[in-house]
Amino acid sequence: MSNTASYWNLFRNGIFGENPVFRLALSLCPAVAVTSGVKNGFLMGVAVLFVQTMANVTTSLLRKFINPKVRIPSYMFIIATWVTVTDLAMAAFARDVYAQMGLYIKLIVAFAIILSRSELFASKNKVVPSFFDGLGMGVGFLLALVIIGFFRELLGKGSLWGIQIIDTKPLLIMILPAGGFFAMGILMGFFNWIDIKFFGGKGASGAGGSHG
Amino acid sequence: MKDMIKITLSLVVIFIAAGIIMTSVFAITAPVIKVAKEKEEKEARQKMMPDAENITEAGIWEPYGKRGKYFEGKKEGKTIGYLVSTYGKGYSSYINILVSAGKDLKIKSINILGHGETPGLGDEIEKDYFKKQFEDKALEQIELVKAEGTDKIQAISGVTISSRAVTNGVKEAMKLLKEKYGVAQ
Repeated sequence: MSNTASYWNLFRNGIFGENPVFRLALSLCPAVAVTSGVKNGFLMGVAVLFVQTMANVTTSLLRKFINPKVRIPSYMFIIATWVTVTDLAMAAFARDVYAQMGLYIKLIVAFAIILSRSELFASKNKVVPSFFDGLGMGVGFLLALVIIGFFRELLGKGSLWGIQIIDTKPLLIMILPAGGFFAMGILMGFFNWIDIKFFGGKGASGAGGSHG
Repeated sequence: MKDMIKITLSLVVIFIAAGIIMTSVFAITAPVIKVAKEKEEKEARQKMMPDAENITEAGIWEPYGKRGKYFEGKKEGKTIGYLVSTYGKGYSSYINILVSAGKDLKIKSINILGHGETPGLGDEIEKDYFKKQFEDKALEQIELVKAEGTDKIQAISGVTISSRAVTNGVKEAMKLLKEKYGVAQ
């Protein structure tokens, strides 16, 4: 397999094969919390995409140096450093963006998906594949949040990206946390169905818990 | 024993390196953030009280253990209103609120200056429909209720804790104003 093709597969894996939300069922708490609107989901997704990619690259660079017995605290520190640096740099030099994104950046420290990619992928692979894995996972997460946010906002508030589209709230429960899980479960099933029906996938293996 | 030292050393090196990175970023960004914040706060104050010619600091108080300032707005040498920077204890953060009140100690408007509440839920408190409820209210009328159609403050559904935090913060601010300026009238 050529390099380009394998990188593409790594990228694609994060979106379809092992989508963080629909397949791995990781980071569901923040995913439920921020998907009450498309805009929130999108901004959160962008923030995760950045930190995920950078944390993967850093972990991969340091993989020979990190003592396996204390790898988890080491990864946590890498992630926390990136989050802090991003948070401070944005607050100082991009205040307009920070006003929109500031809330999301700080939440990322506790994201299970970022830690799990450091552990499962970046610690065992070279820098470039780790970069593409992080990118794929980030984009997968972003897409999942936008799709969930789309349905929740449309049904729960009758709006999209904060703009009122229909003058009623068809299903108020959708913007509440319980509705978030409904939307997520239904979409997860739909995602699996499409994969099995049209792409010959195996569906979700049922692996992974939902912590964080 | 040897392992213990190796593990400790490995962690110490990473922590120190990360510490140095974070400290230097903080050192570079902190002054920039401070200047930008002060400018934003000043603009926010002016916006809350457009009639005032100058807004002077009247003192410092401590809502919920945080440090807030309050201001007097003056026009042609006369006090026309007050501004109070107050805090409420929310779900996951302290919510910073700026309250603008007239000389009659009724609220003119409130504004949320900063908070760290859940995006998509807690940040509903920034919306106009919620903030507008505080307008023209005196201290006694500031009370959070969960029912519709009252003259009190109506909680946002699903966001009760943040709603209550804002209400309490504003209430504290109005109490302060009453204490400082209420008796003289």
